[in-house]
Amino acid sequence: MNDAQTLAVEVAAIEQVTPLIKHFTLTSADGGALPAFSGGSHIIVVMRGALRMHRNPYSLLSSPHQLDAYEIGVRRMEESRGGSHFMHDQVRVGSRLEIAHPVNLFGLDKIARKHVLIAGGIGITPFLAQLEDLHDGTVPYELHYSVRSPEHAAFLNRLREREDDKVRMYYDSETQAVDFDGLLSNQPLGTHVYVCGPAGLINRVITTAKSCGWPDSHVHWEQFSAPPVGDAFDVFLARAKLTVHVPPDQSLLESIEAAGVEVPYLCRGGVCGFCQTRVLELDGELLHNDHFLSDADKARGKNIMPCVSRARCKNLVLDL
Amino acid sequence: MLITGIKSKPVYAPLRADVGGRYHLMLGIGPGGIALLRVLAEMRESAPQAIANARLLFVPEAADATDTVEQFKQIGLGSMSLFDDGASLLDTFRTVLAESFMGTRLYVAGPESFIGLAMKIALEFDLNKDEIRAEEIGTLARRVYCVHCRTATEEVRTNIVRCTGCARWLLVRDHYSRRLAAYMGVMVDAEAPGELPPLKEIYL
Amino acid sequence: MNTLFKPDETFRDDFSYRNSAQAIRRFPLPFPEDDYMYSVNIEPHVSGPKGSVVEFAFDVDEHYVAECRERELVLAAEPLRFQALPHMLSAQWDCLELIMESLARDYPAHFSLARRSNHWRWINRPLGLDQQFIFGDVDTLPRQPLDYIGRQAQGDFVVMDQREGDLWTEAGMVTTQADWSLDFDIGMTFKEWHGPVPLAHEMSVFDRALKYLLNLRLGQPVRRLNWTMTVHPRLDTSPENYPKWGPDRATVTAQNAGDLVHLRVELQGLWRLPRSNAIVFGVRCYLISMRELATVPKWARRMHRVLENLHPALVDYKGLTRYRDAVVEWLAPYDDGKPTSPGTAPE
Repeated sequence: MNDAQTLAVEVAAIEQVTPLIKHFTLTSADGGALPAFSGGSHIIVVMRGALRMHRNPYSLLSSPHQLDAYEIGVRRMEESRGGSHFMHDQVRVGSRLEIAHPVNLFGLDKIARKHVLIAGGIGITPFLAQLEDLHDGTVPYELHYSVRSPEHAAFLNRLREREDDKVRMYYDSETQAVDFDGLLSNQPLGTHVYVCGPAGLINRVITTAKSCGWPDSHVHWEQFSAPPVGDAFDVFLARAKLTVHVPPDQSLLESIEAAGVEVPYLCRGGVCGFCQTRVLELDGELLHNDHFLSDADKARGKNIMPCVSRARCKNLVLDL
Repeated sequence: MLITGIKSKPVYAPLRADVGGRYHLMLGIGPGGIALLRVLAEMRESAPQAIANARLLFVPEAADATDTVEQFKQIGLGSMSLFDDGASLLDTFRTVLAESFMGTRLYVAGPESFIGLAMKIALEFDLNKDEIRAEEIGTLARRVYCVHCRTATEEVRTNIVRCTGCARWLLVRDHYSRRLAAYMGVMVDAEAPGELPPLKEIYL
Repeated sequence: MNTLFKPDETFRDDFSYRNSAQAIRRFPLPFPEDDYMYSVNIEPHVSGPKGSVVEFAFDVDEHYVAECRERELVLAAEPLRFQALPHMLSAQWDCLELIMESLARDYPAHFSLARRSNHWRWINRPLGLDQQFIFGDVDTLPRQPLDYIGRQAQGDFVVMDQREGDLWTEAGMVTTQADWSLDFDIGMTFKEWHGPVPLAHEMSVFDRALKYLLNLRLGQPVRRLNWTMTVHPRLDTSPENYPKWGPDRATVTAQNAGDLVHLRVELQGLWRLPRSNAIVFGVRCYLISMRELATVPKWARRMHRVLENLHPALVDYKGLTRYRDAVVEWLAPYDDGKPTSPGTAPE
């Protein structure tokens, strides 16, 4: 995708739902309905700040059956590169933003016989949309929602109203933790588990599922982490004939975009492979932070995911 | 009509133990037992605790049946059930799946038509290719689905076969449907009625 | 567009189907050069030249009413030419929305769609239909959503669910196919369904196509062309009915090839669907007889050369073995050896 295909939206409402999370309601700037989407989809929000542009993915938490507005939840990140701060501090009711068409990399499996949803903190957002599709109860489901304390449980009222008996809360402050092994040991055949939240939570679920014998195809995860920061470096784009400087707090992809060169992207999180770029020359090492390339491909050093990966090098030339 | 080179024919491989699984469900017919014994021997080497979580459904056939059953008993399987035929085995298989948990691996060893029917049942429980291993042992005889009258003709060993539903001569194609657990049969002499290719026994 | 429909054209029995001069000129020739081999050849499905078959998302031409009638005949005899696995219902609704929105937007003289929240009213003037229904409520339509709208669109529709890193063929309205069976193939994955296609597997065409389609985006459909040949302008060349149309292949001679043999071109479109995240594959079928094709000199030369040089595996797979030589002989007088310009536009 590129920025040519964005939709203009207006911020219709903002609500502080927990000390760290703001809930934004977005309507179409021209007053029409927004595109339909499937639960688990995210939008890329393009924010034009004074100094730089941010493009952050946020899950749609609104119901796929209500298309007069999209709703997203944004957690204020402590070590932010600016995107979440921009949303929290600069965006007001009435602000205009651009968003990309929804993309779903975290959909419910349609032939699953049961869904187990595990959310940590802001990771609750994609499940809120999916619960609207699951609500008719034709397929059994349960949600396990882990937060640091009750005041950090975003959208809990909404959950309790709609899904009370299907939601189980876990508060770190009360030393309640999900019993992953117990949860994943006794699920019927055809169960799929979905996890969204911090990296630690995701890794726990993936590791536990594996040790319980689950095949990878039944374990689904989504993580919206900011691209890792690192030392500054320079890169030469062979086709554009440009040298691009990549500062510590800007990703390689963002730096290339800031220089006016477009790179196709979908998730901006190192998962989907869409931004895969060929490395033509390298004097140094690539710092792969993605989940797409195989270990062998990473070692070969012929490809890189600019959305999350970086380099430590004297010379790096990309096929862009 | 293309006869060779169709890539939707299922491909089988010798069974190997999948110690990533927590429970192991094994189905076998006749000589398939040897393949399952091999898997269990592998488990004994690399993950002996897995054997206690292995369950076997088996149809003993022919002279070496007693010996094979004896070897299964010796190896210390979690549970073993014997059946007179594939059909009764598959009935029990469905019940077992309904009580099984995520983490189960399915191993099937026997003739292709038996594998196909077992897979059809496994599909109902959303078991996918990562959870199922199958080895074709025994007759290659095929189940053929006539696209014209939608009748399945069993135990086909030849390149063409007379449909038991509509009596047309059908070409037995390599195009396979997991949902139907059958190969496609299409009228072989539509363009030149009566002109049949030589009958050959190839799925023995 | 002022479409004059020919509602009584037939695609069976007396085969009265003919292309008008306008239909001939807009025919989507699939050969940009004198040789043909597979490629993925996908391009964005964006609006093309005015009057062309790709001007709009779904092309409605002079054969619209007749094709819808033909589809009704096929379905009456064989209801299983429409099938949808239970979990594909939201994908069916997505298809209904896509087709209704497109037709109403692009052919306002023929179709109207009025929506108040989920209360919809659909008017199809060429077929004389006026339907009010609740979007998402299957009981308010006379048939399942894809069955309902599929009977009002030209071409086949195959819907694929995306899961486990693959595409699964799990719903379809298939009455104008070139020799594949929905009933047999439903439930297959992308590569299983394409199993019978020769050569392409060796070329890893399907690996690349699958990877591409898995990333297909909402709002960015793609298209490609595919082709084969048919004896008589017969739309229903299903394996099910092969006993009916198979014998036709043996009736072609170098004298009658011009009228009997038709180039059959599929304009294939692929759309990501919003609520189901599935993909719909539209296969729109265009037929032109060799005689009609030969009224365009460049096309006659090119068709002759493509057929003469066609790879034997493709001749076999496309079912041309019995009559390819007869068609080449019929076309030969039109090929004076002159060069043809690249691209498909008539000179």
